[in-house]
Amino acid sequence: MTYLTLGCVFLPFIMAIASALIKNEKLRNFIVILATFTSLGCAIALSQMPDRIVSISSLYFHIGGFNTTYAVIAAFMWFAAALLSPQYFKGHHKLSRYYFFFLLTMGATLGVFLSADLLTTFIFFEIMSFASYMWVVQEETKEAMEAGKTYLAIAVLGGMVALMGLFLLYNITGTLMISDLYSAVSVAGKSKMLYISAFCLLFGFGAKAGMFPLHIWLPKAHPVAPAPASALLSGVLTKTGVFGILVVTGQVLPGDKIWGYTVLTLATVTMVLGAVIAVFSNNIKRTLACSSLSQIGFILVGVSMITLLSEENSLAANGTFLYMINHSIVKLVLFLAAGAIDLGAHTLDLNKLKGYGRNKPIIMIPFLIGACSLAGIPGFCGYLSKTLVHEAIVEYAQHSHLFIINVVEWLFLFSGGLTAAYMLKLFVAIFIEKPTEETPKGKKLSPLSAIALIISAIALPVIGVCTSLVEKITYPMLSLVNGQHFHHEIHYFSFTNLKGVLISLSIGILVYVLFIRKVLVKNGTYVNPVENKVSLEEQVYIPIIKGLTIVVGVICRIFADSTDFLVFISRKTVFKNEKEHPEHRRKFSYALGDILDHFKHDKEHTNSNLFVRVSETVSRTTQSISANFSFALFMTCLGVCVILVFLIVSFIS
Amino acid sequence: MLLIISVLFPVIGGLILPLFNKIQNRKIKLSFVVLIQAISTFLGLMIIFGGNVSTGTFTFAPELSIGFTADSLAKFFIALTVIGWALVTLYACVYMKHEENEMRFFLFMFLSEGAMIGASLSQNLISMYVFYEMVTLFSMPLVLHSLSKESINAAKKYLYYSIAGAFLALFGIFVLATNTDTLSFVSGNGVNVNPLVLTGVFTMLLGFGAKAGLFPMHGWLPTAHPVAPAPASALLSGLIAKAGVLAIIRTVFYVVGADTLVGTWVQNVALIFALLTVLMGSMMAYLEKGFKKRLAFSTVSQISYALVGLFLFSVDGFKGALWQILFHAVVKVGLFLCAGAVIFLYGKTEIKDLDGLGKKMPVTFTCFTILSLSLIGIPPMGGFYSKWYLATASLEATEIGALSWIAPIILLISAILTAAYLLGISIRAFFGKEEKEVDKKKEPLLMVIPIIVLTVISVVGGFFPVITNHFLVSVLL
Repeated sequence: MTYLTLGCVFLPFIMAIASALIKNEKLRNFIVILATFTSLGCAIALSQMPDRIVSISSLYFHIGGFNTTYAVIAAFMWFAAALLSPQYFKGHHKLSRYYFFFLLTMGATLGVFLSADLLTTFIFFEIMSFASYMWVVQEETKEAMEAGKTYLAIAVLGGMVALMGLFLLYNITGTLMISDLYSAVSVAGKSKMLYISAFCLLFGFGAKAGMFPLHIWLPKAHPVAPAPASALLSGVLTKTGVFGILVVTGQVLPGDKIWGYTVLTLATVTMVLGAVIAVFSNNIKRTLACSSLSQIGFILVGVSMITLLSEENSLAANGTFLYMINHSIVKLVLFLAAGAIDLGAHTLDLNKLKGYGRNKPIIMIPFLIGACSLAGIPGFCGYLSKTLVHEAIVEYAQHSHLFIINVVEWLFLFSGGLTAAYMLKLFVAIFIEKPTEETPKGKKLSPLSAIALIISAIALPVIGVCTSLVEKITYPMLSLVNGQHFHHEIHYFSFTNLKGVLISLSIGILVYVLFIRKVLVKNGTYVNPVENKVSLEEQVYIPIIKGLTIVVGVICRIFADSTDFLVFISRKTVFKNEKEHPEHRRKFSYALGDILDHFKHDKEHTNSNLFVRVSETVSRTTQSISANFSFALFMTCLGVCVILVFLIVSFIS
Repeated sequence: MLLIISVLFPVIGGLILPLFNKIQNRKIKLSFVVLIQAISTFLGLMIIFGGNVSTGTFTFAPELSIGFTADSLAKFFIALTVIGWALVTLYACVYMKHEENEMRFFLFMFLSEGAMIGASLSQNLISMYVFYEMVTLFSMPLVLHSLSKESINAAKKYLYYSIAGAFLALFGIFVLATNTDTLSFVSGNGVNVNPLVLTGVFTMLLGFGAKAGLFPMHGWLPTAHPVAPAPASALLSGLIAKAGVLAIIRTVFYVVGADTLVGTWVQNVALIFALLTVLMGSMMAYLEKGFKKRLAFSTVSQISYALVGLFLFSVDGFKGALWQILFHAVVKVGLFLCAGAVIFLYGKTEIKDLDGLGKKMPVTFTCFTILSLSLIGIPPMGGFYSKWYLATASLEATEIGALSWIAPIILLISAILTAAYLLGISIRAFFGKEEKEVDKKKEPLLMVIPIIVLTVISVVGGFFPVITNHFLVSVLL
């Protein structure tokens, strides 16, 4: 089992180095696909193994449950992305760099998902964050560099805050093993420090998940990365953040109301915000990125329900896990489809892509499946997960009698409606509208790319139709959050459950017809009235950071220069160098010289002033020495004086 | 006998170097330099792998004696010293080509190596003080090597601050001499706590802290380190500044006894100074525009990480400090060597001129980035574990009150600033617009090898934390 874990997590690292060294493009593509495939194989083999913990050096891996299931999904997504890469990157430069970091991130991400203690999680989490930075800046355009900057800043900040959370957690519980945390926390009891630690972890992992208010990097970074990379950024890397939040939810603060409501609030904001920006966007990848933001909000609403419903969390827990899987696969499909469009059309702007997808069923069908699943249309996986989470909210609303939970439910349905609206917008623009002269002809997809699109899409309708699969997939994962099995069979297609999706879809169609077609489409072109006008980053964060830098910088400068300044002041005042007063100081020399001159009438002039010259040299030397010595002595005296003052004070008292 | 030879050999070897000045062939001259360095390194390694031997003491006045003992801490510092010096010597063989008077440079490099080894091996406070002063005096000519007005002034500043620090420390030694039975380094030694002793210890911490760049005696460091030739700045920042840390370890853990200081005002004030230095150094580095000067400010901040660990006066803190000393030495020497390579090949000293150099010097800047990640504390690089042990040790220390959680926060804020000031350089170098007119020059092999070796150490040390930790625990008391 150790070898399988090694194969799963460390093989990509080794292959990363190999792929960086290989210059032949075909061989490299083959190696990369082979590496992802082998790793996927190892992950699947691991998922069949009995539950246990494997330790390699000081790293701990948990085989079984959520960990292996998600490792399989992650490895599968890398495999699919690797299949599309050869055609997508044809003619691009710096590919050895891309593939190196592609595989490096793969190993790290699998490490995060398989980790059995939070220290291991954190180690791989940081490798993943830094390696995936290279994805964002791969194209080296101005936008990419900008996005990379934001990405890196949030990654570093999030990582450090999460680390603080780990320090505190370790200090309180004495362990970071995920399986031991539950009992360790209940022994230690809840304290202020435990909450601080949990919120630090929420900050760190939430930053990676794209949770409000740390989401700013996501809509910038995902669109600029190459398509296979954005599929993974959106589909898997955000889930590592969710994984961290799930650990806190299930093991550190199980059933805690404060935690539940905090996550719920932030999740709801993320959910609505993401959906609203997505409606306005005119760039496929940007829409998809904002959609990821919104979907992470949906997932986190589910996470908060797990906490709030504590003992009766069967709907919430199963729904959340299914939602995560659904979102991963949907984003894989959609981003790969966007990549397939990009590689033929070389643009992502909706106005230039009108009707591009007509007569291209190999792109259209997977895209349609993804869109339907994302919008939650019955018959697709997305419907099941959305229904479960929705029912969980309804359950908690009845359970708690809080009006605010009803508001959350409405917002949930509303965001679901917006999801349908923006996916409809994309679909209509690309696949239905008539092509204009601007629309490029496009390229035929290579078989590998076509396979990538099809195999990634296939799971969605399968799970959506065979609803019995749901329990098989989610039950093993439940132990992470102490989730419950379903108490009774779920009738996914009963009227009460269908009602939610009907409301959502009608909102979606209304928004599309009344808002998008009327307001956002002008003379047949899509416009974005709010583009570049509202930015949390530029209008809030950057001014705050700049202000802080100036204030702290000035304070630090004062401290840094204080000693030098003290020395400088005293040199200008007390220890001032004496100015030269030749007449005054050398009276004696001159007098002596004069007398000597009297004795030596007949000698030449130069010789007679010997004394004057010698004394001048001597005095110049002495002066330069004394100037330096005064400085040194002063430094010494200062030290001694401080000591004396202290001694006197301490002896008196 | 081995101990005395290993201290004297670099000194003698250095002193005979000027005799070779007449030789016109540069290669022959340099092969002598490398030979002397190789023998010193070999002697150092013999000490490290030998037993805990000690020499007799040479008493030149009652109660004042000089003697050497190779205990585990001494071996640790000797390992850092000889390996660091060996790598830097190789590097300097190429680098010093474009400086004058290279034999003088090597002369003082060997002298300060001897002094460093002497300081590490010292058996009691008096002999350590003597060698500590020697380190200061012998390393000063390294700073003023270029003999420009700026470098002479910087060297003077270095000297004055160091002298002031040494006198502060000397006062503490006087106090301790009258209040303890012995000034020899015996672990678990303790003194009676009275205000005078505490004051003495405090002045010693400040005084020795001058060498380590501890506030308020840090002023010289950012001035003196950048003006020296790159190999010298690497040694000054990475290793010679650690003499101050060594002296503090010896004082606190081997003479005074750490337990007696826990919870006193000395601990609180020293910790506050150290934390202030950590934050201040990082912030100043972030605001700094010169390449080497930024690295020098970074040293101010990073050495104080180790001091934070030491000032916890606990075994865990000590261990964290050792991790930090080890990896800071490796990383900072490496970073300065990278900066030197840039100066040597392209003559760029300002960060804004580094745009696009990553494409011309791929090896240097890849190593620079990896070393930076280690300094920031990104796992799995070695630097991560030093932050980990320092922060957990600090949270364990409940006697220091609020400082126990303020310390990790400041360490992390400083880590974020470290990321900002170091990764900014890498990003500029790799993704900045390159100047077309500058030709690509090959990175000399002898310059690249030391950098690669250091990078590998910093990565491997972090990949196998269990082994590194085992090694560092064996250094503890």
